Amino acid sequence: MTSVRASAAMDRSYKLMLLPASLAVGIFAVAPLVGMFVLSFTDFHLIRGWSGKIGLQNFLRLAGDARFLSSIYVMAALSFFGVVAQVVIGTAIAVGLDRIVKSWRFARGIFVIPFAVPHIAVALIWLSLFTPTLSPITAFFATFGIEVPAMLTSQTGAIAAIVIADTWATTPFVMLIVLAALQGISPDLDEAAAMDGATRIRSFFLITLPLLYPTLLMVALFRFIETLKHFPLIFVMTSGGPGRATQATNYYAYVQTFQSSNVAYGAAIAVFLFIFAGIISFYIARSNARLSDA
Amino acid sequence: MFTKRRTVLAAALMLGTALAGPGAFAQQTEVDVLLFSMPSTLGLQKLAPDFEAETGIKTNIEVVGQDVFESRITLSFTGGTGDIDVVHTPAIQVQRWVEAGWLAPLTQTLSGMPDRDDIIPATLDSFKVGDDHWGIPFFAETGLLAYRKDLLEAAGKQPPTTWEEMLDVAAAIHSPDTAGVVMRAAPGQGFNMFVFPMIMRAYGGEFFADYPDDLTPTFNSPETLSALDVYIKLLGEYGPNGVSSFNFPEVVAAMQAGQAAMTVDGTSIVSQAVDPQKSRFADQIELALPPAGPAERAPALAVHGLGVSASAKDPEAAAKFVAWATSKETMTKLALNEAYPDFTRASIAEDPAVKEKYAGIQADFLDLRIAALQEARSDYRPLLPTWPELGAAMGENVNAALNGMMEPQEALDAANEEMGYILGQ
Repeated sequence: MTSVRASAAMDRSYKLMLLPASLAVGIFAVAPLVGMFVLSFTDFHLIRGWSGKIGLQNFLRLAGDARFLSSIYVMAALSFFGVVAQVVIGTAIAVGLDRIVKSWRFARGIFVIPFAVPHIAVALIWLSLFTPTLSPITAFFATFGIEVPAMLTSQTGAIAAIVIADTWATTPFVMLIVLAALQGISPDLDEAAAMDGATRIRSFFLITLPLLYPTLLMVALFRFIETLKHFPLIFVMTSGGPGRATQATNYYAYVQTFQSSNVAYGAAIAVFLFIFAGIISFYIARSNARLSDA
Repeated sequence: MFTKRRTVLAAALMLGTALAGPGAFAQQTEVDVLLFSMPSTLGLQKLAPDFEAETGIKTNIEVVGQDVFESRITLSFTGGTGDIDVVHTPAIQVQRWVEAGWLAPLTQTLSGMPDRDDIIPATLDSFKVGDDHWGIPFFAETGLLAYRKDLLEAAGKQPPTTWEEMLDVAAAIHSPDTAGVVMRAAPGQGFNMFVFPMIMRAYGGEFFADYPDDLTPTFNSPETLSALDVYIKLLGEYGPNGVSSFNFPEVVAAMQAGQAAMTVDGTSIVSQAVDPQKSRFADQIELALPPAGPAERAPALAVHGLGVSASAKDPEAAAKFVAWATSKETMTKLALNEAYPDFTRASIAEDPAVKEKYAGIQADFLDLRIAALQEARSDYRPLLPTWPELGAAMGENVNAALNGMMEPQEALDAANEEMGYILGQ
């Protein structure tokens, strides 16, 4: 009897302790989100205001908007190639650094540096590297008479350029998480496999990688959601160009909201992104849970 | 009940006024000014005590970054908070702000200004919407040509006065080390659409059938097509590698490092190419008027002014501040105190002290600048409320054509159709 009352009191005090955080989240996260949902059903325009109309018109317009559809293609390319490159390279570096001898541990710190560089600075660094007249890379190859083609003047090149800049900046995040997971895997497993005659490559693919799988899935999910939010790299490196070839969906929402003052339409694009990210996250989280249960 | 309370209140106020007497009751008038950071606005902030001494009006001048500025004014104006009396008004925004009812007209203030004829007409007319003026200019950027004197001389060429000649000169001086010409190309209303209209207008191209009365888009006219062909040929054949994604920082850098021999860009950009502290070829680069074409010479124009908020606490005091800040005296002081060759009154270029200060850029820099501004049209970029959107539609399609993603005519047709859609919305 007493224990039930005590636990009820504990429960209440826990709830009380959660209150400040819940309030903060409510005010700063949920309220703007609700605002965005509400806006997306109106026709609110920054200058013309709201005519009083409410409905699905923005979402219907999305379905027929060629610029929106091509923005999804750009977003998909940026996300897919970005996530694959970051996870593969990040894991490779983590595996290398995991077994490194003690005196070389500082190398871990060096690999993390790009992660600390602000996005705008990353964009400016890579913009100059991809601008032939400014780039030391171009200058280096020019001394051998080789002309490095300009990256930012074609769609493929510009998307590749953004993926490279993003990969440079965020691979350390993947590396850190994978490295932490690797440290949790007992070296005994590898040793046992080696005694049974397995090569190191075999034991990596058959033992380490399956054990890392939940971590990789989670880190890929994080990176995936982040790549949906591409903005500073596009804004600084390409201005959405050449033409409109790098206007990813998030960037297109900015264009509609701030350049064209179509706040409601921009909100509808943001709602689409939110739901899309939610669905993907849900499926990945569910398959992750299944794996952990198994 | 209500009326009774109001009467009592009014009586009390009247009594208070009578007792306090005129001097003591008059609280000091204050003007809240929001500007974004440029040498001239920072200089204005320093001069504010002069205004206070002259008029007894106290000023609170806040100078902020451009990004902060945008969100500050949007919040203040849409929320009607009344915390801004005088506002930095880029001409590009003025029609939007007027349509939204954010500004108060300054027509009367302007007609009361003693030497208004001194203000360069195109800069003043940039703030005209309907029959009223909604801002008074204090900053103007125009377009000039910058060219490498040594390379032109070596090729036996005169500096180009038309775009046709520019193609010819570019062909003659283009080499693997130094491209014939560099210009901004990145898509955007303030990027490629700041320079492309100089070519378009030179060939007789217009944005609309008859701006501002008939806004039928005419961006796919044969004239604009000839201009786009020139732009593509200049950059495609005689531009440095990768030029079709260049924005103004890359243009400046290419001129400063000697990777390109000519450019046509804004005054603030070309003056960096002739700045000995920044440019390796400063002593070899000369400035001249931008090239003309069969139709006209159409120097670029970007103007900033001061406007009075529709919700200003004391519109009269606010207007007084605007008149003071844009007066000949204040502008001359600013031109002498700061790096500010961007004044909007022609007579200041005649002031001997000012002349001497800017002679370092080039002996006739100020005269060239005034000459270009006198030829500029206030509708260089038609500053409709939808201009940001229209400019983006044109800029993005022009950039696509430059990068070979679309045929020139196809790009102009696409832009024209989008303009029609934007205006018809």
